[in-house]
Amino acid sequence: MSEGRIVTEETEEEVPAANGREDAPGPTPAPKSPPRWWLLLGRDRVAAAGAVVLTVVLLVALFGRLLIGDRAQRQDLDASLRAPSLSDGFYGLLGTDVLGRSVLARLIDAAGTTLSVAVPAVLCSLVIGSAIGLWAGYHGGRRESVAMRVADVILSFPSLLIAVVVLYVFSPSALNIVLILAVARIPVYLRTSRAEAAELRSRLFVDAARTFGTPSRQIIHRHILPIALPTLLTVATLDFCFVMLTESSLSFLGIGIQPPDVSWGLMVAQGRQYLQTAWWITVLPGLAIVLTTVSATVLAAWARIATDPAQRWRLTLPRKRRGASAAVPPEMIP
Amino acid sequence: MRFSVSPLPPTGRRRLRAPTATLLAGTVLLSSGCAVAGSAAGDAGRADGRTLRVVLTQEPPTLEPCEASLTGTGVVVRSNITEPLVERDPDSGELHPLLATGWKQTGDRTWTFDTRSGVTFQNGEPFTARDAAFSIDRAVNSDLACNVEGYVFGDEDLEVKAESDTRLTVTTERPDPILPLRLSFVEIVPRTTDPDSKVRVPIGTGPYAVSSWQAGAAIVLSRYDDYWGDAPDFPRARYVWRSDASVRAAMIEKDEAEIAVALDPVEAGKDTTVAYPNNETTALRLDGREAPLDDLRVRRAVDLAVDREGIIDALLGGLAEPAGQLVPPGVVGHDEGIEPVRQNVAEAKALIEEAEADGVPVGRQITLVARNGMFSGVSETAEALQYQMQRIGLNVKVRMADTATQLQYQLRPLPENVGPIALLIMHGNQAGDAAFTTSQYLLSDGPQSTFGTEELDRRIDDAGALSGEQRQTAFANLLADQNRTVVQYAHLAHMSGLLGLSPSIRYEPNSATGDEMRLAEVGPAKAGRH
Amino acid sequence: MVTFLRKRILSSAVPLVFVVLGVFFLARMTGDPVDLYLPLSATAEQRAEFSAAQGFDLSVPAQLWNYLADAARLDFGTSLRTGQSATEMVLDAFPVTLQLAGVTMLLAITGAVLIGSLAAYRPNSLVDRIAGLLSMTAASIPDFWFAVMGVLVFGVSLAWLPTSGTLGGPEVWVLPVATLLIRPFGVLVQVVRGSMVSALSAPYVKVARAKGATPQRVIFGHALRNAVTPVLTVAGDLTVGLVNGAVIVETIFGWPGIGKLMIDSILQRDFAVLQAAVLMTAVTIFALNILVDVCHALTDPRVRQAVPA
Repeated sequence: MSEGRIVTEETEEEVPAANGREDAPGPTPAPKSPPRWWLLLGRDRVAAAGAVVLTVVLLVALFGRLLIGDRAQRQDLDASLRAPSLSDGFYGLLGTDVLGRSVLARLIDAAGTTLSVAVPAVLCSLVIGSAIGLWAGYHGGRRESVAMRVADVILSFPSLLIAVVVLYVFSPSALNIVLILAVARIPVYLRTSRAEAAELRSRLFVDAARTFGTPSRQIIHRHILPIALPTLLTVATLDFCFVMLTESSLSFLGIGIQPPDVSWGLMVAQGRQYLQTAWWITVLPGLAIVLTTVSATVLAAWARIATDPAQRWRLTLPRKRRGASAAVPPEMIP
Repeated sequence: MRFSVSPLPPTGRRRLRAPTATLLAGTVLLSSGCAVAGSAAGDAGRADGRTLRVVLTQEPPTLEPCEASLTGTGVVVRSNITEPLVERDPDSGELHPLLATGWKQTGDRTWTFDTRSGVTFQNGEPFTARDAAFSIDRAVNSDLACNVEGYVFGDEDLEVKAESDTRLTVTTERPDPILPLRLSFVEIVPRTTDPDSKVRVPIGTGPYAVSSWQAGAAIVLSRYDDYWGDAPDFPRARYVWRSDASVRAAMIEKDEAEIAVALDPVEAGKDTTVAYPNNETTALRLDGREAPLDDLRVRRAVDLAVDREGIIDALLGGLAEPAGQLVPPGVVGHDEGIEPVRQNVAEAKALIEEAEADGVPVGRQITLVARNGMFSGVSETAEALQYQMQRIGLNVKVRMADTATQLQYQLRPLPENVGPIALLIMHGNQAGDAAFTTSQYLLSDGPQSTFGTEELDRRIDDAGALSGEQRQTAFANLLADQNRTVVQYAHLAHMSGLLGLSPSIRYEPNSATGDEMRLAEVGPAKAGRH
Repeated sequence: MVTFLRKRILSSAVPLVFVVLGVFFLARMTGDPVDLYLPLSATAEQRAEFSAAQGFDLSVPAQLWNYLADAARLDFGTSLRTGQSATEMVLDAFPVTLQLAGVTMLLAITGAVLIGSLAAYRPNSLVDRIAGLLSMTAASIPDFWFAVMGVLVFGVSLAWLPTSGTLGGPEVWVLPVATLLIRPFGVLVQVVRGSMVSALSAPYVKVARAKGATPQRVIFGHALRNAVTPVLTVAGDLTVGLVNGAVIVETIFGWPGIGKLMIDSILQRDFAVLQAAVLMTAVTIFALNILVDVCHALTDPRVRQAVPA
């Protein structure tokens, strides 16, 4: 089998990347840059599938509305609750809801709304929360205390109360929901990044950088952030999932996305009462949520390993050997 | 200081510690949890043939009898724990004697009631006309701000006097032919009840007394053995509440309850569910003070645009009848001759175009406000109405609101600067007379009306002074006229409720069941019932 | 450690004040409860009387002062909806939620540590992949959907469990806890696995394995303590989220907990109960956070050293 050859080649490619050296041992001159990320991606079938799903969802969210026009709003009370079938045309593929609207068109429309709520919310809270947390955790002392107390204040406020207030005092809109979700999730990133920074600030390399007179901001940016980033990204993808589910729960309680806007969460909530007679209305958007979040998580897990130089070797193992004696890198296998 | 030098315990011991601690903590939590669950148990939750288990949508906020016109309170209290002087038959509309044995109008503005003797309250005290006088006074004239006062009597006070132990006179400010009907809402309490504050748990003359109320969990009633009338079949009744309709339905199927209220239309057709017309009428109230809704043609176009049949079939599970008026059949003043408007999109569009040609700003955004949870399928109905109104050329936005917010749109003082509002309302005429509906919804300054005409106001006042057949005709005519000349409402449907009933009992729901569920009418299913 | 605790508790007092102030203003921003509690025909006088009785006619600073003074005595007033003491209602509802959250998190943490460690021990193996996929799916399921499905499947179709309510023995806990459990469990498995993978690739672990240590010793004796920091943080956040967010489960299964009380009082504009409930929840959350910090200090010597003794 060609396994042996592949191992040797990959190992040789890996070594210069890890060490940053230019000259390569062995007969073949090794390339200087790390392996192309799409090659790495291609080696991991599950992560690749996740990437494909996510790309499809993204494209649908961005361009879907152009393609379907007003199909998602077109009602036909005579065509209420039609089951998915192949004989009703393209838009009848996934059935109709109680107002006779095409579920397929609604799913496409909802993809845009759901992502336009979830992605900005997660990005906002990730950026703001991590920035404050890293800064607070690195400096410690009073800054750390204040930041943690701010996080406590936000955490202990019932997000329900804020949602109701914002919805009924100001006008209900997707933007307000994004704000609520973003602010409510900041403490999560704050705490995680603070914990990471607090642990890292006493490490030797950080001490060394400080001794050299590197300004704090550079230390945080260059040294602490890259190490904390994988954890933060894992938390962010899990949070992406949580934000989508929270939006769905808010819609269930009647204070999330308001009709006639539509999101996957709202579809699940509205379709719940037809679960026994018209399962497709609630199961399909639920499936969409699950697929999207699972894909995002899988991709993030892969990315975490791919961006971590100490772990990247795992991805370069041929598939068969990846499972064997896992915690031990190949150098130690006799 | 202590920590920096303390050595870590050997791995072995440490390894045992964490799981043990976890187990201990878990056991403590679970056992205390069972204690919580156990204390809420109380009576048996299983079917024992002696407890009638009812599941409501929400916990009654209070059982104060003067709030009995609130659905959440009335469904438990009315005619179960307390009783009124006079009782209205929901099907025929006739008044039956209850704690009063007879009544007649003895003056222009005075009625005299004879009260029943041999009745005792659940605390052992005998019932006399003085208790009746006290109860009416407390509910209507006092500062308690009882819901009954506002709903049934307006802001007029009554002069009540107990002439003797068995005779009572009631005098109104203006001649009122339907006073006995109004008094059917006043539940009688002992004269020792606190007149200055509302009580949470009442004493009454009814067949059941409150045995316990575990806040948040259940209300238990037990049969009052010295009840003056026929003893009900079930010695005990237990009310619980679940806000999710599918859970309520599941409880019937799983034999965890005998009666479940307000099920979703999806459950209709099963042999454990019964549909019944419930006195509620839905309609779209159009704010006639704001353009474009101030133009009669636009309002009529909205009325023509609505697809009542489609909405009823698709969204309400067929459990409703198209409506042409706010007053449902069976209520005094209902006009049999009014036909619900049939959808006619072409005519509606023509009317809008005509209005537009005359300069009416039909493109101005109308806000359609509806309340979450008002009835099953309300948000879909709102969306359907929006779609149908937009089809004829109007610009409509939906706003789903919670109860408090929707009430701001519904009641006077109406909000300012919100533009034209189309409000989805559901009016329950549990009182049985069109006077209640018209005074609220059709008068120019009615608490739930946005506008009216002087002529309509006059006709409503006149009709209110009539009685019998004349009253019926007068009200019927003015309702029909409202549809022609005022058109403040695009009527939707006379609604039906869906009740879940276990096969082990028999009960005939009627139009009052949602507001007043008489446990005495529930009996065990007879053997051999098919 | 005592000094640490004292400082932490003191520093939590300031945010507590912010929460107390914040809920006061936010509650009032939701609108006027008058329409909900007065009969339809209430005259302007009756409305004025009602407002006066609740203190709404005073200026905002005066209302705030009264509120703070009362709150200091733990007197939050009476509920507009039921007439009971707000403090009493909250104290009745709170243990229910606390127990739900406690049992859920206990099971979630235990299960996640076991499965996550197992998965991390052999990364990318079949066990790892299955655990990963299942945990991701578990973290993605909408809880109300799961609850209703659970009621339909286990309560009605299979009739193994009661549909709802608090009546009965341990079986009434199964569906509510399972519903609350799936997301924290899914998230924690991911986090445990992630940090255990890092911990297990440390040099001393390789040495231990080379020396022939059993997997249990490697995991529990060496790697877990180092992997625990992010797990603790996330577990703490999830518990807090449960306390605030068991609303769905309480609503569907009819458990009279603080979440249901809070949402009912928000929708009914019952300010007294809302303020009491938020304050009680806030105190609990602060206590939980202090607990998490103490655990951090206990398990990670490096953090401990950074803590002024």
